Amino acid sequence: MITAGVDIGSTSSKVVVLAEGEKILNKVIIPVGAGSSGPARAFEQSIREVNLSREDIKRVIATGYGRNTFTGADQQITEITCHARGVYELVPGVKTIIDIGGQDAKAIGIGKGGTVSNLIMNDKCAAGTGRFLEVMSRILEINIEDLADLAALAKNEISISNTCTVFAESEVISQLSTGTSREDVAAGIVQSVVGRVAGLVKRIGVQCEVVMTGGVCLNWMIIKVMEKELAVPVIASPMAQLTGALGAALLAFESAS
Amino acid sequence: MTQLKELMSALDNAAKHPAQVINKCLEEKRLMIGCAPEYCPEEIVYAAGMLPVGLWGGLTSIKNANQYFPAFACSLVQTTLELGMRGVYDGLAGVIVPAHCDHLKCFGQDWKVAVPQVRFIPLAHPINRKLEAAVEYLKSEYSRIKSVLEEIGGQPISDQALSEAIEIYNDHRKTLREFTLIARDYCTTITPSLRHNVIKSGYFMDKLEHTQLVNGLIEELKKAPPEAWQGKRVVLTGIMAEPNEILDMFEDYGLAVVDDDLAQESRQFRTDVPQGTDPLEGLARYWSCMEGCSLLYDPQKNRRFMLKRMAEESRADGVVACIMKFCEMEEFDYPIYKKTLEEAKIPLLYLELDLVTPSLEQVRTRIQSFAEMISRKR
Repeated sequence: MITAGVDIGSTSSKVVVLAEGEKILNKVIIPVGAGSSGPARAFEQSIREVNLSREDIKRVIATGYGRNTFTGADQQITEITCHARGVYELVPGVKTIIDIGGQDAKAIGIGKGGTVSNLIMNDKCAAGTGRFLEVMSRILEINIEDLADLAALAKNEISISNTCTVFAESEVISQLSTGTSREDVAAGIVQSVVGRVAGLVKRIGVQCEVVMTGGVCLNWMIIKVMEKELAVPVIASPMAQLTGALGAALLAFESAS
Repeated sequence: MTQLKELMSALDNAAKHPAQVINKCLEEKRLMIGCAPEYCPEEIVYAAGMLPVGLWGGLTSIKNANQYFPAFACSLVQTTLELGMRGVYDGLAGVIVPAHCDHLKCFGQDWKVAVPQVRFIPLAHPINRKLEAAVEYLKSEYSRIKSVLEEIGGQPISDQALSEAIEIYNDHRKTLREFTLIARDYCTTITPSLRHNVIKSGYFMDKLEHTQLVNGLIEELKKAPPEAWQGKRVVLTGIMAEPNEILDMFEDYGLAVVDDDLAQESRQFRTDVPQGTDPLEGLARYWSCMEGCSLLYDPQKNRRFMLKRMAEESRADGVVACIMKFCEMEEFDYPIYKKTLEEAKIPLLYLELDLVTPSLEQVRTRIQSFAEMISRKR
């Protein structure tokens, strides 16, 4: 049986196509998300590349911010449940998930069998999200992927006091204009995101294993600083931003079986 | 069945279209007094022959009220002031504003300047409410409000009229308590949104009429056997569960509201006004009898135990904290009852609400996740 999970985030669309709930046949990421042609294109590409048609897919579950607007799905499940299922498959000992997405950040407590036992999301604000990192990377004139390496070169990390992305942007520009190095600013940006998200995680209680998912977990510096902030090891999900789509595909398999 | 539908429709419509109810009152030339959240002595207004009208804000954008409020004022006071500044409440002969929290304190002062056409009637409750001196003080506050209402109405308010009003209100409270109990057995018919609107409609209607309608609804519901409910059951706590779209989301994801601890709902009717020889004293003593609200000084923080008991008695699968954004009174209580509920292994969802938020998608994700969480709990 073939199932698929489509994770439609605010900044990207991710698809995992799964055979018999075990073998990943294909995975696709398209860097545009909800409200764009991204989800449909990502799904189309994911099945076309492995010579499948929609009829070959027994069940499709959509998740993520744009889950309710994707017409090709049989069911919609939140990214919280899907990330929990996806991470549980990859790291069975998981007890806490940190998911930093493009638009929001979530701390998820995991109970028996990969079920969600507790959840908390950030407020309606870009602080502590991937969007914050994007905005700051633009000011530093670097690709978001290079932020970790730049931050690692910091000599005197600065503190960004504003949690609001808009005000923090002004603060960063002000720091750069007074001669603070880009490396020190980058480290301050990483610390700002980690500080904000760590606060969320502490509210649900930190229990090992702690796994980070979402695109932001590709930033090794965020993982390193998060470990320091939470005083526990933090594992980056082996499938990073595809974890939610994997969870959706697994849940699709389980519900269709 | 037709009678049931008619009653549900009448109450639902009154909550959704309060202007229709208010206009009828204007035609009858009955004076109306606005009652700002959360606790006003409506009985005094009623005894004066006037209609107390609840002012609980509304879903709107802020264009004028931000002249007076900072961005971090709760949307309940912001939207109420906004509607007042737009003239929506011009039909009112006055508005009673209690000063339960910092935002309401500012709201009253702002109202006086921003909506001068609707008379501002301040009300300050005592904090140390269990003392006899507090009862005495609050009685003097109510006596002042009574004098203001006598001046507005042009006639005295007798003790007999006050006692009758208290009786009518206590009867109304008893009826709503009965409704919330019976609604648990009819979760398909009484959806979260309808449950809310049945209660909310009472803010715009004469309490006698509302009691009659709700009693009729109860009788009609009882004619059918209790409904089997396949979904999950939740208790709501907080100030209010609006905008209405969020209650529709509860329905979408198979969540029934089986009890509530909302200031706009059950907190208004779970305690009766003590009846005795002095009606004003009874009203003042009511404030010291109430329990379990973030606005009531309670050094023991008994709300946590009340919520746990409420969840257990209603066989709820979880509790949803409907926290009005920037409501520090509710935020202070949250970690206290969170700990108690966690110890009792009762799932709790923190839902931040805002009447001026145009997008509810994040709220949807939280509600759906919570529904998935309690449904998949092993």
